Amino acid sequence: MHSLGIAFDLLFGSPIILYSIIGLTWGIVGGSLPGISASITMALLLPFTYGMAPVQAIVMLACTYIGAEYGGSIPAILIRTPGTNSAAATVIDGYEMKRQGRAGEALGISLWSGVIGSLFGLLMLVVMTEPLSWVALAFKPTSYFALGILGLSVIASMTNGSLLKGLAAAVVGLMIATVGTDPISGVTRFTFGSPELLGGVEPVLIMIGVFAVSELMMQSGSKGLGGIGEQVRVRLPSLSMMNRLKRSQFIGCLLGTFEGLTPGGGGSIAAFLSYNEARRWSKEPEKFGKGSEEGVAAPETANNTVASAALIPLLSFGIPSSNSTAVLLGGLLIHGLLPGPRLFEQNADVVVGLYLGSFIATLAQILVGILLLPFCVWLVNRPRAYLAGFILALILSGIFTLNTSLFDLGIALGMGLVGYLMRRAGYPFLPLILGVVLGHMVESSYRRSLLLSGGDHTIFLEDPIAVGLLIASTIFVTLSLVREFRDARNAKLKDVHA
Amino acid sequence: MRHLAIATAVAASLSAWSATHAVAQTPVDYPQKVVTLVTHSSPGGGSDVFLREMAKHLPKYVKATFIVENVQGGSGARAISRLAAAPADGSVFYATTPTYIYTSLLSKVQHGYKDVEPLANFFTDSEVIYTRADGPFKTLKDVIDKAKSTRGRWGAANPASLERQAAEQLKKAAGVSPAVVSHEGGGDLMINVLNGTLDIGVGEIPELRPQLEAGKIRLLATFDPQRMEAFPAIPTVKESGYPVALEKFRGLAGPKGLPAEITKIWDETVPKVLADPEYQKVYKTESLVPNFIPHDKYQGFIQNFGSTTETFLKESGVLK
Repeated sequence: MHSLGIAFDLLFGSPIILYSIIGLTWGIVGGSLPGISASITMALLLPFTYGMAPVQAIVMLACTYIGAEYGGSIPAILIRTPGTNSAAATVIDGYEMKRQGRAGEALGISLWSGVIGSLFGLLMLVVMTEPLSWVALAFKPTSYFALGILGLSVIASMTNGSLLKGLAAAVVGLMIATVGTDPISGVTRFTFGSPELLGGVEPVLIMIGVFAVSELMMQSGSKGLGGIGEQVRVRLPSLSMMNRLKRSQFIGCLLGTFEGLTPGGGGSIAAFLSYNEARRWSKEPEKFGKGSEEGVAAPETANNTVASAALIPLLSFGIPSSNSTAVLLGGLLIHGLLPGPRLFEQNADVVVGLYLGSFIATLAQILVGILLLPFCVWLVNRPRAYLAGFILALILSGIFTLNTSLFDLGIALGMGLVGYLMRRAGYPFLPLILGVVLGHMVESSYRRSLLLSGGDHTIFLEDPIAVGLLIASTIFVTLSLVREFRDARNAKLKDVHA
Repeated sequence: MRHLAIATAVAASLSAWSATHAVAQTPVDYPQKVVTLVTHSSPGGGSDVFLREMAKHLPKYVKATFIVENVQGGSGARAISRLAAAPADGSVFYATTPTYIYTSLLSKVQHGYKDVEPLANFFTDSEVIYTRADGPFKTLKDVIDKAKSTRGRWGAANPASLERQAAEQLKKAAGVSPAVVSHEGGGDLMINVLNGTLDIGVGEIPELRPQLEAGKIRLLATFDPQRMEAFPAIPTVKESGYPVALEKFRGLAGPKGLPAEITKIWDETVPKVLADPEYQKVYKTESLVPNFIPHDKYQGFIQNFGSTTETFLKESGVLK
């Protein structure tokens, strides 16, 4: 009853609704700008929260995170450039739907799925924080290794027909992941003496370069100089559509919760994994990649679920599982709040306020999302030359604010060139991104495990989580290969009959 | 040497002057109106919080406005370069931690720790050895005994860090050879201690506090030279029989060639700020141990820390 009292107090005593809506709005706008990731959006807001009361600041930051996860899908669908990293998987079917003139429908599905994901994540956060915190504890270095392998196994099904090119891209990604300080011994690798590279290459720079910068390069090379041309209005899914999306949303919820709980790549891995699983379990897998509604729903549910579920390890252990929650942790610390079991007793007002604010933001998302869309569409609808210049300036200043580093700008632009060449030569770049995101985790946890066991590989068999995940990855890879060969044979047969 | 002699003479006359004019409560005059405190940490990070708290209490003792500037990136290299390029007139300082020594040693930085001048030390962060509360280890000796009989599993928060150095030095002092596993920061390490993957971890109090207060973690010893004020029952590593002591320092550094009148003001101000009751309340909850080292002694302290670290990095094969 005590916390209910606090909730009423917060709801009517302080303008918490205001802060959550401001955060949400800023999140959607920031997220919808390509190159401005959820963490950058939050980091830009952080200085403004210094003067606020703790609960207001935390609510605003958390709601920004929620908003950014939806906002990221807007340019992913409209201009084939994810606004946030975790919207990368949305590009595949979202942009395809837009090409079929169903952009409004895709946006509606993204919005609806975001709400479902956020609500599910919140439910987990409120009800399950205590019981679920064991998941983070149960994960040993061996389990992290297996989790990384499972993530990499997705590559097998993301290669668009050319397994060799996909693997080559993945290897480049894994190579990039080795730059920096050796995770075990501390020896510097491929840094060429530069202090800028001691911490490795940040995945966000690679993603911005490969997705956004190379997309801008492609666009400036193409003739059409108009924007997206048409007026887009959000079309929320009909009841029968909602029913059809249930399965993929369920997958997104589960994988999003799981990914939010465990430190790692944050929303992007969850989005890709759930896209892949949604295709595997779909009744119409052949529609994936050709404008499948489920292909939009699954990743968008997953990344919004992550945004809420990632608060579980943050609040209960003080462990940020993504860049965005790391910014949120900074926000908590600035206001003298120490995450951990005691937070729930000593600062119950902040915790309850956070739940409440996130809940308000989740519901308000539908309305704010619809109201803001014309503005976001107007933004991405400017003549392409202006838009490209504007976005490039925004991307570069966004990267600069992250670390105030010109070196980072160089990396992002260089990766833009790499991405451009890859697109030209028909290499898929999603495997490269996965390699960068997961390479460090796979390497460090593999070496950590062997250091613990004294070089004995049976340590992986002693951990049931690791065994389960490794078996799952083997099945995934085998199934993907079988499908690949079957498709190739069918194509051949077709040729013969034709 | 001539400069030093002049500096000492000036300092001596200044101190004689200020001794007669010392007023307890009014802030002393300072040649700069605005003092910028640079940190390599992001807003909300360790050094950032340290500076922002300090900036609140300094104006009571020094007549100046203190602002905090975050110069992130390059593992601190950029912040040191910012400092080295600033005028040595007491208007810009940098929050030192062992990070700036590690970065200077591990990469070819434009400006290293030897290119700036340590001003004074404020605090020491206590490095502690901890284990899970329901685990088999009650004392540091239990841990060492286990490492003697079977394969010990120890953890450090980061590779090439002071925590790692502490673990390696303890290993050497105790004559055991457990696996020392580096992690991705203190949180990651703590999970592996809590779930029993590791026997012990080496870390700092603030990152352990939530679990410590929840009774999930037991402290076994501290690497501090003396016992910690907040945990008087916890022995030092030295007392436990292994001659290892470390001080994770937190202080300020300025550009080379700080005028003696400036260092003098700080040498007098730091003890006063540390004794401020309001400030004490804040830093005690953060488990910071006040450890004032004046300007003349701080030079030797940092040089000594630097050479010890360099030796460690060479011995462990990180540096060639």
